[in-house]
Amino acid sequence: MNILIAARLAFARILATKTRSGLTMLGIIIGVMSLIALVSVAQGATSGIQDQFKGLGARNLTITGTTPQSITIEDAQAIAQEPGIEIVSETVSGRVTLSSNQASTISQIVGVDPDYKTVVDPDIFVGSFLPDVINANDARLIVLSTTLAEDLELDAYSIGSSIAVGSTEFTIVGILDDADGFGTRGTAYIPMETAFKYVAVPPYLSSITVQTVNEKIVPEVTKNLTALLKSRHNITEGREADFVITDASQILDAIGTVEQFLSLLLGGIASISLVVGGIGIMNIMLVSVRERTREIGIRRAIGAQQSQILTQFLIEAIVLSLIGGIIGVIIGEIVAYFLASLGEWNFALSPTIILASLGFSMFIGVVFGVWPARAASKLKPVEALRFE
Amino acid sequence: MTVVVEMSNVTKTFGEGTSIVRALDGVDIRIQKGEFVAIVGASGSGKSTMMNLIGCLDKPTTGLVKVAGEDLSKLNDKKLTSLRNYAIGFVFQSFFLLPKTDALDNVATPLFYRGVPAREARKKAMEILTKLGMADRHTHQSTELSGGQQQRVAIARALVTEPSLILADEPTGALDSNTGKQVMDLFESLNKEGKTIVLITHDLDVAKRAKRRITLRDGKVINDESGAA
Repeated sequence: MNILIAARLAFARILATKTRSGLTMLGIIIGVMSLIALVSVAQGATSGIQDQFKGLGARNLTITGTTPQSITIEDAQAIAQEPGIEIVSETVSGRVTLSSNQASTISQIVGVDPDYKTVVDPDIFVGSFLPDVINANDARLIVLSTTLAEDLELDAYSIGSSIAVGSTEFTIVGILDDADGFGTRGTAYIPMETAFKYVAVPPYLSSITVQTVNEKIVPEVTKNLTALLKSRHNITEGREADFVITDASQILDAIGTVEQFLSLLLGGIASISLVVGGIGIMNIMLVSVRERTREIGIRRAIGAQQSQILTQFLIEAIVLSLIGGIIGVIIGEIVAYFLASLGEWNFALSPTIILASLGFSMFIGVVFGVWPARAASKLKPVEALRFE
Repeated sequence: MTVVVEMSNVTKTFGEGTSIVRALDGVDIRIQKGEFVAIVGASGSGKSTMMNLIGCLDKPTTGLVKVAGEDLSKLNDKKLTSLRNYAIGFVFQSFFLLPKTDALDNVATPLFYRGVPAREARKKAMEILTKLGMADRHTHQSTELSGGQQQRVAIARALVTEPSLILADEPTGALDSNTGKQVMDLFESLNKEGKTIVLITHDLDVAKRAKRRITLRDGKVINDESGAA
């Protein structure tokens, strides 16, 4: 029988049993909806972070000590002698109590050298970053992240006022825009020299950020610096290094992996509900085959082959699951749109995910429709005709 | 004359061992092209089994059944189905129209299964419906038709494939006597056009309209008479 006629018949049946078909489709609708919504959450939440990283620091690499006494100022000086390196910026860090007139909090405080601004290019919300040239040896200037400023109940008008770092007064020169960058949340920045006085012990550094001449040589520089630091730290073959070198590509890879993992995890959870929806379809189709035994008998009597009965019922299952899938995609995209505006990431229609969801729901229709359809096609015409 | 149905020494049994039932027990008949035959018998006489065999819905336990020249025992399900589609036009007691399907597609469905393109099949179906005076009802579903109208659509469905024989199982059983008479008139005129018609019935008044009556009892042919009763 013509597929079109079978499809039209399937639509007629679905319309004739609206409530039942609607309830049967509900499982698929909810499954596809959660699939679309959850995968878009995974992609949306990570794509924002990825975009930020693509913008900055493609030619940067950062050396971080695995202990507070791993890397030193001498290391940084040695690194600066290596070929292909443009800027070397050092940071030290410690944890201290910050107190404003209104509140206090324990925070990560980072001492940065003048090159830090060039290499990392932090976004300023209000005020300015630490000045390049600091005349006084003991410049007690501080830049806060927005989160930190909020914790201390400070606002844009607090620029120029002072807060206590431990027991020492510092002047606020700027507040950073937290939405930019990675790891700036809840951090305060002070000049490096000052940091060595109050929060850190020389000559130890917490990180060294290196800007290479261009991004192509990043892997090569990483290799050279690893060898250099290993020999400087007397790390012999086979022993674990006391430092880690990361570059933007690694972070991008890591975010990509997280995204894939999240998509798989959330998509997997949603797929379970799709499978449950498929079982719903199978259940209803089996009931339907029983109810329509006589119709099957008539069709077989007037010349329907087993394969034609099978096709008819299979198409019915597929039409059911496909309509469910289409409704699910529409609702899922609406949900994803609202989640995106809630989570402040970009909403994007992904044709891949939409097609995959529709394909998957069709697949579910086939898998869970085959058994009822086979049962229908295997009915003996004589018995099916006599069925009351 | 062409033989449409041939049965020689046909038995059909159900069950096994001591509970074995012989529904047909050594039946020999031949039905020629253009005949109008009534198969008569009480309930349990074997006439339903006979109808299933003539209708290619079942195979004999022993003996030979040939329909339109094909030996049923030698056919698999696919070929048997095909034979039903080409050789038999079924008319049932309760009409058995397809649900959720209008009269036109009901009539066209046997042609759909045969692989005739939808347009052509519907054109043919419309011709037959017109001939039976049902053209203005072609968009109606079975629930919107009276019993007599439904049976006309069913007869149109049986005719559309131009089968070797029309096999009618108690075609007037669900109709009032007046409508039943009209249906029998229709069969009579179809027979006059040369169609072969086999009626299965327990109603002797209906059987009288046929030109030949085969009477069954306990699975055996006990009477086979031709001419007006």
